[in-house]
Amino acid sequence: MLALRLGRGARPLALLRRLLVVAASAGVGFLLLCTLGWAMKHPVGSLPRLLWCLIPLAATVQLAVAVARTDPGTRPRTGLSAVGLGPARLTTLAATSTAVSCTLGSVVALLCFLRLRSDLTGTLFAGQAADLLARNQPLPLAAVLTLLALVPTFATAATGLVMRRHTRRTARPAESTDPAPAPTGLPWGVALTTAGLAIETYASRGGGGSTPPLPGRFDGSSAGVLAGWSLTAVGLALAGPGITYLCGRLLQTVRPGAIRLLAGRTLMAEAHGIGRPLGVLCAVLSGVFAANSLYGPRDEPPFGPLTGLGAALVIGCTAATLLTAALETRQARVPTTTTLHHLGAHAGLLRTAAAVRATAILAIFAPLTWMVAALAAVPLTT
Amino acid sequence: MVAPPDNDVLWARSLTYSHNGSPALDGVSLGVREGEILAVYGPRGSGKTTLLRCLSGQLVPQEGEVWFNDSPVHTMSAVVRERLRRDRFSWIDPAPALVPELSAWENAALPLLLRGAPHRVAKTAAMEWLDRLDIGDCARKRPYALLQAQRQRIAVARALVTTPAVLFADEPTAPLHRTDRAQVIRTLTTAARTHNITVVLATLDEEVAALADRTVPLVDGRRVSSLGPSEAEGQAACSLSV
Repeated sequence: MLALRLGRGARPLALLRRLLVVAASAGVGFLLLCTLGWAMKHPVGSLPRLLWCLIPLAATVQLAVAVARTDPGTRPRTGLSAVGLGPARLTTLAATSTAVSCTLGSVVALLCFLRLRSDLTGTLFAGQAADLLARNQPLPLAAVLTLLALVPTFATAATGLVMRRHTRRTARPAESTDPAPAPTGLPWGVALTTAGLAIETYASRGGGGSTPPLPGRFDGSSAGVLAGWSLTAVGLALAGPGITYLCGRLLQTVRPGAIRLLAGRTLMAEAHGIGRPLGVLCAVLSGVFAANSLYGPRDEPPFGPLTGLGAALVIGCTAATLLTAALETRQARVPTTTTLHHLGAHAGLLRTAAAVRATAILAIFAPLTWMVAALAAVPLTT
Repeated sequence: MVAPPDNDVLWARSLTYSHNGSPALDGVSLGVREGEILAVYGPRGSGKTTLLRCLSGQLVPQEGEVWFNDSPVHTMSAVVRERLRRDRFSWIDPAPALVPELSAWENAALPLLLRGAPHRVAKTAAMEWLDRLDIGDCARKRPYALLQAQRQRIAVARALVTTPAVLFADEPTAPLHRTDRAQVIRTLTTAARTHNITVVLATLDEEVAALADRTVPLVDGRRVSSLGPSEAEGQAACSLSV
């Protein structure tokens, strides 16, 4: 009940973030139900479709955790620990809110699915896509419930795990807390990315030039290419914090003035918070670019309506996660910003520092994304 | 509008302020002479911080006037007051309020860097002040690696590095033990006297108030002639029984 009360009193922006989680959860739930519908018509070979759903699922869980971390209702506040809202209770609270949002999304997905199924004239989803709804067969209740419970379960568990560490760390003022050590994942990230690209090149050479399939058509020969791609994505996600840290470090070298000093040091301190979502977004975007250069020129799209929904979900969730993480670091910096205002730093200076940070990140990550996308596409197109 | 006396660097007349309806200041008038150390002395909740914030232009009083060197602070726009704070005033909080990502000397040099001073000049000035405050050897450490007393001394160095016209210190010794407290307040007053810096010091400590040239006692947002022992210690007789 407390979670609901806190949610009701929250500001519109916090509610909007919760609504995004509901929408993402609904999207993934709908994808899973459609996969079930398709599997009932075609029992053989439907496992790859289910596995493809894991990517939007992971993106949604990531978004749910990021939103739970920024939720103003679950931030540790001085004084509230004394009335019983300590780290343990706040973790429960955050997990409950996430569970409520995700379950709501699942219910919306179920309602949409049932509505489309009952649309007997078939004007909304006609032709080949009608297979996805399995109109003429009864739905297995247990399977539906299991699939719809996936997002709430994973998101709640992940939120609980992350928040337990998070609430413990932020209960003390920033000045007297030890800063997080410099990220160490960069070598691993670079190694995994290059290994992934190498595997992909090797596999595509053996596969006789067949393009890797999207959900509609999966054949086993391109498994190596997909493995290479996923390894690249994991590598980029691991390297993200290290690259961000390096970016900040470069920004503040050689006799910095106030703007470069503040921008660089802030980036170094925020590397853990925004580096990971940045790496993930970079991986997703490079995947999209590579897929676009592979499938783009053709006249007929090689995939059904659900691939579009899945891709939109993944891109939307990773972008929203990055924005939410940026918001979280901004919230954490409120005391420092107040101090700077007291020292007479005008708002324009702080805005310039933020713009410098954003430009530095863009200057490093945009070419990186393009490079990885180009390298990933080269062996497949030639 | 009455012109302020000539020898006062900062001058306020019948300041009244309430925070969203809760009264904080009720008709306080005072003048601060150039180069003096003035202690605003009173118990918690007597309006010391609000008075300092009105004087330094962070808050605009709802009634009354604030003058700094013949210019009216209460009629200035927010941007002009911000510039005034940056160029002529400095401020020490009860907590050190350092920027956690910067090292000790960078924190101390920050006001100079914000004014656009070159890196080398800012560093030299900051290191000088850190040495004077006896924390030169922690200059390269981050705030998390320092003791609270060292952090507070960095905050003092940060306030002094620009040699401001007026230094506002809001209970600068609040988080410290007695030995550290004496040292911080001694360095602050010595620096102010040698560099002719005017200091407005809010405190609830009688010993600290005794170090000042003049004391303005404040109770419940009003200026009083002197503080009775019961008011200072907050032990006023209570007739309620619960």
